[in-house]
Amino acid sequence: MAAWVKGGATDAETAIAAAAALLAAAHAPVVTGLCAELAAVRAAFHLAGTLGASLDTAGAAGTYAELGSLSRTGAMTTTPAEAAGRADAVLVLGAAPWDAPILRDIAAGAPSRGRAAGAERTILSIGGPGNGATRHVAYPAEAGGLALSVAHLRAFAKGHLAGEAAYADLARRLFGARYGVAVYDPAELGALGIEMLQGLVKDLNESTRFFTLSLSGPGQDRAVVPLAAWTTGQAPRVGFGRGVPEHDPWRFDSARQVRAGEADAALWLASLPSPRPDWLGTVPSVAIVGAGGPDAVAEAAEIVIAVGVPGESTGGALWNEGRATVTYRPATGAPAALTAADVLGRIRDRLTEKKGA
Amino acid sequence: MLTRISGGRVVDPTAGRDAVGDVWIEDGRVAAPSPRAPDRVVDATGCVVMAGGVEVHSHVAGGNVVLSRLLLPDLYVSEAAPEGHPFAHAGGSAAWIGANYARMGYTTAVEPAMPPASALATQLELADIPLLDRGALCVLGNDDHLLQLLRGRAGAAAVRDLVALNVATARALGVKCINAGGASAFKDGALNLSLDDEIPTYGLSTRKIMTALLDAVEEIGVPHPLHVHCNNLGLPGADNAFVATLEAAEGRRIHFAHAQFYAYGVVDPENPMTGGFRSAAARITEAMEAHPNATLDVGQVVFGQTVTISLDILRQFAGRKGANPKKWILTAGDAEGGGVVPFLYRPRGPTSSLQWAIGLELMLLSRDPERTILTTDHPNGGPFTEYPRIIHLLMDKEARDREIATLPAVVGARSSLPGIEREYTLSEIAQLTRSGPAKLLGLDDRGHLRAGARADVAVYRDDRDRTAMFSRAKLVLKDGVPIVEDGEVVAWRAGRTLALSVESDKAMARRTDAYLQDRFGQGLDSFAVPDAAFPVADVFEEVACRA
Repeated sequence: MAAWVKGGATDAETAIAAAAALLAAAHAPVVTGLCAELAAVRAAFHLAGTLGASLDTAGAAGTYAELGSLSRTGAMTTTPAEAAGRADAVLVLGAAPWDAPILRDIAAGAPSRGRAAGAERTILSIGGPGNGATRHVAYPAEAGGLALSVAHLRAFAKGHLAGEAAYADLARRLFGARYGVAVYDPAELGALGIEMLQGLVKDLNESTRFFTLSLSGPGQDRAVVPLAAWTTGQAPRVGFGRGVPEHDPWRFDSARQVRAGEADAALWLASLPSPRPDWLGTVPSVAIVGAGGPDAVAEAAEIVIAVGVPGESTGGALWNEGRATVTYRPATGAPAALTAADVLGRIRDRLTEKKGA
Repeated sequence: MLTRISGGRVVDPTAGRDAVGDVWIEDGRVAAPSPRAPDRVVDATGCVVMAGGVEVHSHVAGGNVVLSRLLLPDLYVSEAAPEGHPFAHAGGSAAWIGANYARMGYTTAVEPAMPPASALATQLELADIPLLDRGALCVLGNDDHLLQLLRGRAGAAAVRDLVALNVATARALGVKCINAGGASAFKDGALNLSLDDEIPTYGLSTRKIMTALLDAVEEIGVPHPLHVHCNNLGLPGADNAFVATLEAAEGRRIHFAHAQFYAYGVVDPENPMTGGFRSAAARITEAMEAHPNATLDVGQVVFGQTVTISLDILRQFAGRKGANPKKWILTAGDAEGGGVVPFLYRPRGPTSSLQWAIGLELMLLSRDPERTILTTDHPNGGPFTEYPRIIHLLMDKEARDREIATLPAVVGARSSLPGIEREYTLSEIAQLTRSGPAKLLGLDDRGHLRAGARADVAVYRDDRDRTAMFSRAKLVLKDGVPIVEDGEVVAWRAGRTLALSVESDKAMARRTDAYLQDRFGQGLDSFAVPDAAFPVADVFEEVACRA
């Protein structure tokens, strides 16, 4: 298994010892990325607890747009399987969802269960690319952006705005759905847009059934959020600096912490492919990355340890977007010598020994 | 190692024991008295010795529990934990749950609502609850595959095989149905559902689904009877739903969840939905006495802020208007739905006071505490950490009267609580919290202190202040190992997850896999709960089916 310390190839044990020393010397380390199987993410939380570090995820922009709205107003949600099986109207918000395989599947199908079974599925959009790949009724986004568009749509739906505007027509279509689903990418729609959309959907449910379907993005945030919640009682951006898990989405934004000079070391966990933070080289850092991936190279960080890739060279519990659940993916190839959870656990063991000494 | 817990008042109603004596422990089990000198003697003089508490219905894991933490991140308080478990003081976390149950002398807890589609995440969360043995009931009754089998009259054997397959795949301890058919009906526009109402598009009813599940559970030999959350929870007249469901069981074993929320009789039959409710605890009690096949857990309400968590999406949708604070989550999930609605049981509010009284009435009127299990339906009626106060009120008429004196007159006008003189004995408390729930779950190895029992033991200082007594056990042993001393956790052991050992039919597995692949492009593997998914070994312990 490949490992490097300061650019030089070494064995795993040496790299683990160096990682423990690097993190132990830090005053305010961050553990970030968390794009990995749940066993590794769990180990990262335990390590952060021992270190007094803070945690952050690769997909935090979308995750916190979602969670910010959720904690302020709640939500009405459904799953891809329910959307595919029941929806007779699908409202696609923005451009990002059009790249999601799930949307292509939903758009290609028709309701087969429930009271809308046998009906055609109407695809509606606001601010979509309108590239003709999927037949849909396109409504332009307002000049003020997607969130403002949703606000105007909601105003027409509530009767606060009237007239024969395009959004009045769209609002009528939404009320005509028997099982409607609004699909969006949280990072694109943003917290205010999501909050407005949830309000619209709640309004629609006064007379029909309508739900939201938030796309999860490429990382593992959807699996990390529940693990964070059951581990700390809070969402992922948690700091342990004062011995108690403190949740603060602004304060524990790892990029902000590094830019502001608050963090003095980082551990980046990405056993699955994930964009490497552009700030990683600006602080003493440890990278635990998938073997064979583009970041399993000496220059990725001060200390680099390559580990098994879940679903390929090791098994792991991962987010399954198609079924909106956590699914175990066994290794499909030769098993790796090291897993991310092993490495994180061994770093933690060394820190614990050092504390006890 | 041979241990003698010496000189305590040993309370074990299953053996008729309530006297000062010893409890012997060896190799993690309660042992017969030994002539050998013990390796360790625990002086329990002045203490009460009971089996470890067993929880049958507490929402301690799963998607809705997670959502409740995200919706109300300030519901629980986190405290600094400089030593010990890194997360045990993180309010509402899995470790916090384990620690707080253990401090009260509980050693087993069951999550009652695990949809099979989210079994792995729920099981991973359960496995992170330290100190306790735990388990989960898998929820059926709204999934398209089951409803299709029933609609197509596929026969009892097919239903049995599908239920067994779900239990085996999810590694559940039992089966629950929640407003059977209600989530499906809600998705198709229904806003209420009674036992014999038609479920849109399937032509079924709650009665048909529930009775099919009752039969399947018996056929499989699931030790825990079907765990039933009835229709019309929380509505005036819900007592009719309870009694009708009880009668629909036709003598089969059945467990009723959070009965307090159904013990609401209509005050004004002319205006059943607007005229308010009165206690139907006496009616429920009478019905239970006439049906020895049935058990219930209470769902006691306690005053204060909480968050309601339920897969009864119909009920939660209706309850959204009462959300406090005004935010809520509804999830139209795969098969089941669900809702998370914050709620404030207003201290001294007339409605919450009456609910509080009805729960106590159910327990105080019951002639069979072993069939009347103490729960708060955590967190729906309030947090499980209120059990010591509830036990206090059951055991102390004066304390009850003092509390009632602070409450509105509706408590006396619409419930019989003020006139009830009964005070629970320690043996009855043990039935309510130990032997009853253990028997209900079919766990013969716990809930008692007879030789051979698992050495899950709670030692309490005998104190007239029962709240203090049951809040912080003097000593708790799990499998014979001290985990709590003087109310503090001293050893962070992991318990086991109890899972039913059930054979699933290979033909049904193939059929279900094909059904899932055809509709969703992914098969049964999506929901599997393999040992390899867990970060530590030996998470599960198998529980045998009934012969």
